[in-house]
Amino acid sequence: MPKQEIDAEGLFNLSLSIVGLVLKDGPMLTSELARHFGFSEKTITKAVLTIANSEDVGRYETHFYVDEELLSEGEVDFSTARSSLDRPPLLSKRQTTALAAGLDYLAAMPQFLENTDLKEVREIIGSGSAPITSYQPVGSESVLLEIQRSVDSRMQISAEYVNQLGVKSVRTIDPLRVEFIGKRHYLRGWCHTNLEVRSFRIDRIISAKTTGGPISEEALAADIPVEVFGAVSDELIVEIQASSEASEIFWNFPALDVKKAADGSSSGKIRVGNLQALGRHVCRYGGEVLVLGPPEAREAVTAFARKALGDQSIAENED
Amino acid sequence: MAAEVNKQRPAERLFTLTCCLMAAPVIGLSKNDIYASISSYLDQESDFARNKMFERDKKSLREMGVQLEVIESSSFEETDTSRYRISKDSFAWPSGFQLTGEHLRLLELAAKAWNSQVLAKPAQSGLIRLRSLGLVEASRELSLVTPRLLARHASFAPLADAIDAGKLVTFSYRKPDGATSIREVTPLKLRFIEGQWVLLAKQVDQIKNFMLRRIISKVEISELDGKITRQDEVNLVEEELVTFVSNNRARLIVTKGTEAWWHFGAKEEQEVVIHFMDEALLAEDLMEYGADISVLEPLSLRLRVENGLNRVLESHA
Repeated sequence: MPKQEIDAEGLFNLSLSIVGLVLKDGPMLTSELARHFGFSEKTITKAVLTIANSEDVGRYETHFYVDEELLSEGEVDFSTARSSLDRPPLLSKRQTTALAAGLDYLAAMPQFLENTDLKEVREIIGSGSAPITSYQPVGSESVLLEIQRSVDSRMQISAEYVNQLGVKSVRTIDPLRVEFIGKRHYLRGWCHTNLEVRSFRIDRIISAKTTGGPISEEALAADIPVEVFGAVSDELIVEIQASSEASEIFWNFPALDVKKAADGSSSGKIRVGNLQALGRHVCRYGGEVLVLGPPEAREAVTAFARKALGDQSIAENED
Repeated sequence: MAAEVNKQRPAERLFTLTCCLMAAPVIGLSKNDIYASISSYLDQESDFARNKMFERDKKSLREMGVQLEVIESSSFEETDTSRYRISKDSFAWPSGFQLTGEHLRLLELAAKAWNSQVLAKPAQSGLIRLRSLGLVEASRELSLVTPRLLARHASFAPLADAIDAGKLVTFSYRKPDGATSIREVTPLKLRFIEGQWVLLAKQVDQIKNFMLRRIISKVEISELDGKITRQDEVNLVEEELVTFVSNNRARLIVTKGTEAWWHFGAKEEQEVVIHFMDEALLAEDLMEYGADISVLEPLSLRLRVENGLNRVLESHA
């Protein structure tokens, strides 16, 4: 959707870019430029007027002759006068950093592993030619494809899903969007079991097939929350302390009262829906996260660690 | 009111300044030449305000990738010892620089990945600049996957600023073994590897990788310029990292039918081999799978996982 607003630096950048394109390809319609650059025609007109008003007042000379009558009719045409500017500058370091990091990120996505166009454009932009690592969906490549197709065709799916506790279930889901966040794919969809939008890690979906039915009206009307963890029901407030490196644990839960100490460590509270899940989240940091309370949360963490170390006496049905 | 209507807008001022400096003679323009050419400067009520505006504009131009050159010479008139021009290199796109529709589609997706995060704006403005190279339409609909880059580390923005400005930075860095030291480096590049932001930076004469999550202090940007680094030096280090990762190999046993089994795609067999960049990071991923996974090799990884879990027990005893 075209943007309606632009700041001064953005308008300056757009003006430079319009100069480059029009001098190269000739006169164009404002509608054509609006579509090409992704802005409204009003913003394009503003950018062209920026070019028109580039007068050297000391010399009483203009840098560009812009046909303002044509502009009022929706056409952009100009020629150079005093100016020797005929294209925009090269990408700034920050623009390069942003685009290169984005391309780098795409390169690690499994769907782009063999993409030669991506390899070429990464070389052009300077984001390196080979991904350092890839995020293999491994077992779930075909699942990902099926889900992508369902999102595209707006068809409901039936998915066999293993939740973070290892419990398998079959869910009917109206798939809305597939996101790649961090190093994981998530399906954001309307769950017919919970009657709300939920996030499903695609590496936990064992199989997915279309039910043949379209996605529901509720799904179409639902808002997709920004955070993937969603709302937590039956929650428990757990107080934790994390070293600087493990402080990212606060990003994985709804967090409150988070305070950062001078040594970079953080302390605060998180809302937890399931204690066994807390065990795995805390254990991954190998002692860098300390659960201060309540006692049942500490016990859940030690139970998970003991079981991971091979203690078979831990009850299997713990929740 | 009429004066208000004719007042030059900031974008017009920056654009006219760029045009004037591009059209400058080889010896550049003095401040007074510039002030006399651009109405916004003339409209200022004092030299102080004019100079302040000019300083701000110089900074904006540099941030937008326009290399402003300052020529200092005592042979100029006393009031004009500094003269300004724009390096033609700023506008010298490599010959044959051309993007296809598919390239553009990928760049759009890369820019979109920033969502509303810290580099969303430069990614979009960079894309606009690239679109000016020709009326190539993105070849087809954007991917059905929405990539979302998250850059929540407090160190991210100052490091991106320092890369931009080519300045030295200092920060406190904690290695996985707990050793902490102050590092003074020239930041070169931010990369997202194995789900983690990694800074490529030159420390003394060596290019190293620093994980942002291990930067435990505020990043201080120095007034001093960073060390000059050639692109081929950066390329070499990146190639070495690829080799390093491909040589780092872990053999795991995953319990059939568990989430780990699905995650690592063990299929019928239970043994999987994976490559990794950082052993401590991999150990974290493995500890999360608890009893569903065990490490066959390397021994160092196995011990790291066991020690980590034992530390959890000790700290929660």
